[in-house]
Amino acid sequence: MRDGFLLLKTLLLSTSRRNIYRYCRDKKKRRKVVGNAVAMTFLYVMLIAYSLALSCGLGVYGMIDAAPAMCAISVSAIALLFTLFQTNGYLFNFRDYDMLLSLPFKTGTVAACRYLYMYIRDIPWYMCISLAMMIGYGIFARPSVIVYPLWIVLSLFLPIVPSLAAALIGFLVAKLTAGHKKTKLLQTVLMFVFLIACFSSRFFIDSLFRDDKVQETFEKTSAMSGRIAGIYLPAGWFSDAVTRLDIGSILLLVGTAAVLFAAVFSLVGRSYRSINSALKTQGAARRPRLSGQRRRGVVTAIAFKEFRRLTGSTTYMTNAAMGIVLAALLGVVTLVFGFDKIIAVVTKDAPLDAAMLRPAIPFIVYFFIGMVATTACSPSLEGKCFWILQSLPVEMKTVYQGKMLFNMLLTAPFMAFSTLCLCVSAKAPALDTALDLLLGFALCAFSTAWGCVCGVKHIQLDWENEVEVLKQSPAVVIYMLPNMFVVMGLVVLAVFLGTRVDHRLLTLLWTLIASVLALLSYRRVLKLSVRRV
Amino acid sequence: MSGNTILEISHFSKTYGNGRRAADDVSLRVEAGDICGFIGHNGAGKSTTIRAIVGVLDFTEGEITIDGHSVKDEPMACKQITAYIPDNPDLYENLTGIQYLSFVADVFGIDAAERQESIRYYADLFGISDDLGDLISAYSHGMKQKLAIISALIHRPRLMVLDEPFVGLDPKAAFTLKEIMRELCEQGAAVFFSTHVLDVAEKLCNKVAIIKQGRIIAAGTMEEFTEGHSLEETFLEADGDA
Repeated sequence: MRDGFLLLKTLLLSTSRRNIYRYCRDKKKRRKVVGNAVAMTFLYVMLIAYSLALSCGLGVYGMIDAAPAMCAISVSAIALLFTLFQTNGYLFNFRDYDMLLSLPFKTGTVAACRYLYMYIRDIPWYMCISLAMMIGYGIFARPSVIVYPLWIVLSLFLPIVPSLAAALIGFLVAKLTAGHKKTKLLQTVLMFVFLIACFSSRFFIDSLFRDDKVQETFEKTSAMSGRIAGIYLPAGWFSDAVTRLDIGSILLLVGTAAVLFAAVFSLVGRSYRSINSALKTQGAARRPRLSGQRRRGVVTAIAFKEFRRLTGSTTYMTNAAMGIVLAALLGVVTLVFGFDKIIAVVTKDAPLDAAMLRPAIPFIVYFFIGMVATTACSPSLEGKCFWILQSLPVEMKTVYQGKMLFNMLLTAPFMAFSTLCLCVSAKAPALDTALDLLLGFALCAFSTAWGCVCGVKHIQLDWENEVEVLKQSPAVVIYMLPNMFVVMGLVVLAVFLGTRVDHRLLTLLWTLIASVLALLSYRRVLKLSVRRV
Repeated sequence: MSGNTILEISHFSKTYGNGRRAADDVSLRVEAGDICGFIGHNGAGKSTTIRAIVGVLDFTEGEITIDGHSVKDEPMACKQITAYIPDNPDLYENLTGIQYLSFVADVFGIDAAERQESIRYYADLFGISDDLGDLISAYSHGMKQKLAIISALIHRPRLMVLDEPFVGLDPKAAFTLKEIMRELCEQGAAVFFSTHVLDVAEKLCNKVAIIKQGRIIAAGTMEEFTEGHSLEETFLEADGDA
């Protein structure tokens, strides 16, 4: 217990921005810490505002009783996904493994601390949602005072069950693949399978209750939350605990989290060393052959290096390639089941048809494609190896051009494939399809260049674990969240304007805007790269 | 088992996924007071053996004991009396030097007065006392190495295991480390370290073991091993014969 506390405290301190600010003598680095804190606060405020608006919406429509269940489901879903993305990197394959294992810590203690460290680092995100929804609930439901501290305390237990489930999945993936020749490929494929299963579960649960005829979206969402809470018991316990002050539910939620924690880490602890040994020595087990040597141009060589970097890390691959895999999947599913059917499932039978949604096709695809731009994280991912690029006889702008070329090569084909699938399924005319493809490419170019602006401006080289860069770095978060929210808005706007203005003209206009923004972002990258030489 | 044996490796083997044996039937014995040099080419199996000794690498074949405790069955007892310095220490970059040392001292349960004395003594010896308040990320490679050495000495280990310890150290620090190794051995501890610097090994070690392609090809006291020749000559000869 003492060892665990000590290790956890040190792990948190070792990545604490406050510690850097306090002890760093480099003023530039200190300013960066402050800038990052401001950027993160802004994003937390955005999330709080979104969650507050959601709970107030429920209150306005008289469905505030559904808020606790909705809060529990949202927090649990985010905890599950966050942890799935982070397990490989935080729990396994971490850099300080040798140092920690050579110290007198039990393997179970190390594993449990790594999990708790991951959990504590994600707590601000969970609490932003939970506290904002609690405020909304407080305004409309006027519960007794005891509900507030109870809500806050139970919110800390809520993410434990889903994140433990995700950690267990990560453990099983690592155990199944450790020692195998193609460990990374297998890990990536298995993680994608689990992640896609998670993303699809919402539709599966929804389809269980398809016979219901609720009209209003809020009512539907509220009713669905109640049903999910019936299936996913911790959400139901949380809801019962705060709405009915049910002691049994409180004990069940806390007890289940504690028992599950003990069970998972007793299991993980047993084979923790053997799994990590196998993962760490995978490189040594390989017998590389010197073949396929080819001369490439500088920009292409950097782009190829980026490809190797991406495929060399399961964590990077699952984070960065999730969007393109989902886009491709969307394309295939739409082609198989039909655009109309997919619209009906996603919008829960809202009065929308294929013709209305056609102008939004490039934005729908871009929602997935633009989810992560490798350019946002790849400058930071250079980490301690940044000196290699700095010492090469190439300008930094060439380096960033190589990184941008790779992101374009990665995203554009998937953008084209998915857009074509959707257009064919929606029976769009050839000219519309061509214009949609054009807009798609412009959006890819914007995502690439804007991602690179964020990546270069908020470059962070002194990380302990690449998950820090991929999931929590200011560059990625500043790129991703506004991008996602704006695209969601653009989908609505494109559908709305598409019914009033000629949609071809509109697509051309969007293409022009995206191209101008891409060009401006590209020029900004060039300026930033000159400053960094 | 001998009461003076600090490290005993018996028939240790480590096989990777593709069937490649990184260590093949390695057997060695290091007694109290020994400084044993572990020599071999890059990729010969030195680091694999060292990582197994310090409990970082899992293994199924053979047995490794430290002061009579099995690394496999009693890892905590082994780690309590062992210090490990890897070739490229991955320390927590965003901790200050003193925060890192305090963490290690806490792990080993060293009381405040003892740790203060120990840290001050070794930090002065290595000349990094004034830098302990800085973040480790600001340290040079050599300073990080010095910090790793100090952290390894805090709990007065019975066995010190070092992987290429002299890489990155300035001449004065290298001399200090050699003195510390000798002092430790005089106090009844043992040192086991890998190196490519044969001159250092020859002057410092009383025992030497050579590993090639995972197998120990020669081991013994320095006198037995060199028989009047230089270690370099003997190493090249043994390496060529094997």
